[in-house]
Amino acid sequence: MRNFKFLSLILAVVLCAVAFVSCGEANYAAENTEYVIGVSGPLTGPAAVYGVAVQNSAQMAVDEINAAGGLNGTMFKFVATDDMHDPTKVATNYASMYEGGMQVSLGTVTTAPGLEYKNLSKDDNVFFLTPSASGDDIPGGGNGFQMCFADGNQGKVAAAFVNENCKEEAVGVFYKSDDPYSKGIYDQFAANLDETIKTTVTTFTAANETDFSTQIDTLKNCTFIFMPTYYDPASIFMTQAKDILAADAVYYGCDGFDGIDSKEGFDINAIPQKVSMLSHFNSKAEEGMAAEFIAKYVEKYGKDTLNQFGASAYDCVYAIYYAMEKAIADGKEIPVTISASDLCDILKDMFANGYELEEGVTGENIKWESNGYVNKAAIQYVIKDAGLPEAEAEVEAEAEVVAE
Amino acid sequence: MELLVSTIVNGLSIGSIYAMIALGYTMVYGIAKMLNFAHGDVIMVGAYAIYVFLAYVNPLFAILLAVVFCLLLGVTIEKVAYRPLRGASPLAVLITAIGVSYLLQSLAQIVFGSASKMVMVYDFGAIKLFGVTLQVSTLVTLAVAVVVMIALTLFVKLTRTGRAMIAVSEDKGAAQLMGINVNKIITITFAIGSSLAALAGLFYLLKAPSVSSTLGAMPGIKAFTAAVIGGIGSIPGAMLGGLLLGFVECIATKITVIAPYTDAIEFSILIVILLVRPTGFLGKKRREKV
Repeated sequence: MRNFKFLSLILAVVLCAVAFVSCGEANYAAENTEYVIGVSGPLTGPAAVYGVAVQNSAQMAVDEINAAGGLNGTMFKFVATDDMHDPTKVATNYASMYEGGMQVSLGTVTTAPGLEYKNLSKDDNVFFLTPSASGDDIPGGGNGFQMCFADGNQGKVAAAFVNENCKEEAVGVFYKSDDPYSKGIYDQFAANLDETIKTTVTTFTAANETDFSTQIDTLKNCTFIFMPTYYDPASIFMTQAKDILAADAVYYGCDGFDGIDSKEGFDINAIPQKVSMLSHFNSKAEEGMAAEFIAKYVEKYGKDTLNQFGASAYDCVYAIYYAMEKAIADGKEIPVTISASDLCDILKDMFANGYELEEGVTGENIKWESNGYVNKAAIQYVIKDAGLPEAEAEVEAEAEVVAE
Repeated sequence: MELLVSTIVNGLSIGSIYAMIALGYTMVYGIAKMLNFAHGDVIMVGAYAIYVFLAYVNPLFAILLAVVFCLLLGVTIEKVAYRPLRGASPLAVLITAIGVSYLLQSLAQIVFGSASKMVMVYDFGAIKLFGVTLQVSTLVTLAVAVVVMIALTLFVKLTRTGRAMIAVSEDKGAAQLMGINVNKIITITFAIGSSLAALAGLFYLLKAPSVSSTLGAMPGIKAFTAAVIGGIGSIPGAMLGGLLLGFVECIATKITVIAPYTDAIEFSILIVILLVRPTGFLGKKRREKV
């Protein structure tokens, strides 16, 4: 009995000690031998094509940096955790990465989990630069920045395009009402549209993503259809509508359209209508960094997961790497064991105050607003022209996107 | 007029798919007294099966093979997962069914990946009907569904096996005493339900040529709703519920203001029906412990 009491006393003391230790501001990176970059994204599940693209591309960038000697001889390590695009999985992922020594991160791949990640990382003061969580509310914590355009910005640019070019068109809109990405773009699009332009709007939800006959019927007289959705539902819509809509109608999408022409089994040339999009990455680029990236990616991972998510992640890693390099050149100290919070203080100060990524896959002279939104040029390009077949990508016009 | 025609045709065609799926739910419930939540995923398996077989044989034969594949799958699921639980608490069977559903979805994801696959079974093109341009596949879906439902009704009413099915659903014990092999009847029920699910998979492919591992999830739940609205256990009830739900979905989607709430509206109808008439439109009153 006495023994038991003694043991329990020891146990109690140990537990208290543990409790006190974990209360303190621990530096989980104290044992690091490499800089650790983390990301939480859908590596499995229906959105895996995006998460895997980010994982592959970020790993590719890290490998390149390490092969070139790392940051003054210190290597980088990239960690990707799987959230299946499910916000409830983010807390566990974040904790395992943060407590595993993560010092800087790419946040999340998609928006819904990103909102969760934003709060967690703000509490610990961990810097993130997300490649693709484009929700308007993703930055704003002071520690978070975006490489992709915020949804609202895409909506604004699209509205400007429609105001300018579609005065004579019957404009239709097809968006996913229960998806923050799709609805975020649509809301800003609607808010910035000229009053003289009348639109026919039809929506769908995750639940009825398998058949769009009713929506197509609603839009059957439209000649210009704005589709702020991902390419999967868009390609289904196009296939179903090919004989019903006018053959010279135009589909206009945002960055979610990226990769639609390489979707397996979907022959974009089998539909007569024209398809164009607004993005920061041209997956058919033939010159510049984008072309180099595409060549490297396809050689290493194949064509299936090549998309703007990956391109953006590649830029994110380099943006962080160059920022750290610049900070050191400016006299800041970034030891390999630097705490996430200390590194965050350095990086967020730079990103909010004019730091610039001169050349990237997704644009040139990429800068950030102090509120975390990216500031770079958007490209509008035609994926496929009206009429059959000829699928020549060409850059039509450049529109400057300025974040608020 | 145009609006009326397109709404009727689209509503009927969506509704008839729901009705086909609901039949699987309702027959299994009526006869085995269990909710087979894996039923929706058999639709997805059917669609993938068509995708695979299309690579080797012509469309008609691929469809036939897919139906046979799903039939065998349904029978296997029943034998492996549900039969050992015959007599166990309904909750255990329910959880098992949900488990099977996840198993099928995950397997499909492992085998085919998470990105959706485009499957062009056959391009029927479009025709003009009363001034409305319609996809011919919509009409084909409608026609096949009607034929299948009539055939099924006749089968249940006129054949020995069909009447045995009714007998088992009325009173399992008494049916057994009358010399009906209950296990065999349940197996046949699963076979029919799964074949119908495969056809539903085909219909989805005809309407929108894309399949992913979650294809069957929502149609499954909608069809289950339809079965409950119509009165679970009742075959005409499933058809009625399916068509009703199809029309509601079609009309709600058309009206921009309420379109985002389409699903909410459909499920609200379920709640209202359950409150007003818990047994559904054509269900039988029965005291039951759940």
